[in-house]
Amino acid sequence: MIALLRYQAAILLRSHRWIFPVIAYVALVAAGAGEGGTPLSEGLGWSAAMCVPVVAFGTRSMLTAEPDAARACVAAAAGPVRSQLAALLTALGGGVLLAIAGACVAVLTSESVLRSPLNPSPAGKISAAVAHPGVLLAGLATAGVCLLVASAIGALFNPPVLRHPGVAVLATLAAAIVAIASDVSPAGAALRHPAATQTTAQWPGLFPAVAAVCLLAVTWTASAVAAARRG
Amino acid sequence: MRLEAVGKRYGVREPWVVRDVSADVSPGTLIRLEGRNGSGKSTLLRVAAGVSLPSKGKVTGRPHTGYVPERFPGALPFTGRDYLLHLARVHGLRGATAASRVEGWLERLGAAGYADRPLRGLSKGMCQKIAITQALLPDPGLLVLDEAWTGLDQAARGALDAAALERVADGGTVMFVDHEQTRLQGKISQRWRFDGDGRVTMTPLDAAEAGENPDARETVIIELDGLEPGAAARLAEIPGVLSARGAIASVAAARSDDVLRQVLAWDGVHVVSVRAGQETGR
Repeated sequence: MIALLRYQAAILLRSHRWIFPVIAYVALVAAGAGEGGTPLSEGLGWSAAMCVPVVAFGTRSMLTAEPDAARACVAAAAGPVRSQLAALLTALGGGVLLAIAGACVAVLTSESVLRSPLNPSPAGKISAAVAHPGVLLAGLATAGVCLLVASAIGALFNPPVLRHPGVAVLATLAAAIVAIASDVSPAGAALRHPAATQTTAQWPGLFPAVAAVCLLAVTWTASAVAAARRG
Repeated sequence: MRLEAVGKRYGVREPWVVRDVSADVSPGTLIRLEGRNGSGKSTLLRVAAGVSLPSKGKVTGRPHTGYVPERFPGALPFTGRDYLLHLARVHGLRGATAASRVEGWLERLGAAGYADRPLRGLSKGMCQKIAITQALLPDPGLLVLDEAWTGLDQAARGALDAAALERVADGGTVMFVDHEQTRLQGKISQRWRFDGDGRVTMTPLDAAEAGENPDARETVIIELDGLEPGAAARLAEIPGVLSARGAIASVAAARSDDVLRQVLAWDGVHVVSVRAGQETGR
């Protein structure tokens, strides 16, 4: 499995398929960072939410990176299910890096956690965030739920499950929007937790987390089975 | 390896491409798949190679597999060598072994000089050599060749013939499709005939081929390239070689695998072709 992950990661890096998601994510996160800074928990929520469309399309990008013939060679060597899972895991791994970077940006652009005018420097913001680790960790947990949902969307609405390119792109986009906007989706639910004060951690809640894990398991299974059947 | 009532179709409402194929493939078997275009040869090869799951039935006891697709478009962001090193690791090879296998096979197939170019820039034949190399890297117990010879130069076709026979001699199974009717003639142990209806008729070739071509089982003509001067005499001394004229040796079929292995160990020697013997006349 390690060899498969290395192979897929090398494809991701060398094909420059990472550039578009990174640019899109930077633009989306920048769009959310307000002029005078936003509260940290809001900034974390925004950067987590923006992971959903970016990682969903990043997953699509990984699932369409290999020509069929090359995919078949790898499938013969390592099994079609494992090679499909490696592609999905690689995209998710890239998403984790993006989410961590997004959280760092949220920390640096937030108004100080304590609304303290004495701490406007980046160092001050970082030390303020570290002083309330719960806020940051809860934000990362929310980002985790968003990543799982994003990966599930990417797996379900793209080849080999959904092979028509136009339909796949539109379905991925629509699903990403619904995932952020609707409370039915675990990502949406995780993002809209009850309002809390600045220094209170806003955890995504158990239900969205469990639902996201289940969604991921079902969609990855569907993707791997489709890869093995249609290979 | 066993195929148990294997059937394959690409969708519930689609027709069966292959149906009800059962076979017990013993080690050291060379199987030729025959049939017209679209009769299901490639599909069965993919199922046998484990690339594709059967829709019905199952494949059990599949050894480690190398698969060569009929076309290998090099649309991957690697050089040939980097791609092969990745595939060597996917095949479970490590470090120095992976690197030396890659170099060895690139050399044998005559692709070493091109291996540092990006795959996207390689010719069809060179891409095909890279695809063949990745399949041969792990000395696979099952080698599946889907028209793998197409687009290769003559030296590489000979090298692939020899590699396939080596796999068989080592107790591996080789399944292949090729448009050249005489490909590996005389060495084939089974012929699987696709009737176009998804069904497959299997014929063991010991009897059938002896009837068609009485000499075929007895001698094999091996044509070599890159022999040093004077090596022809050395060639004639190898046990199993009946006669050697220049770079062409007539070899007892039963010993041809051993002969090939010895000859390929010599520096710079490539196999140009391996075919059933009759033209040298004994």
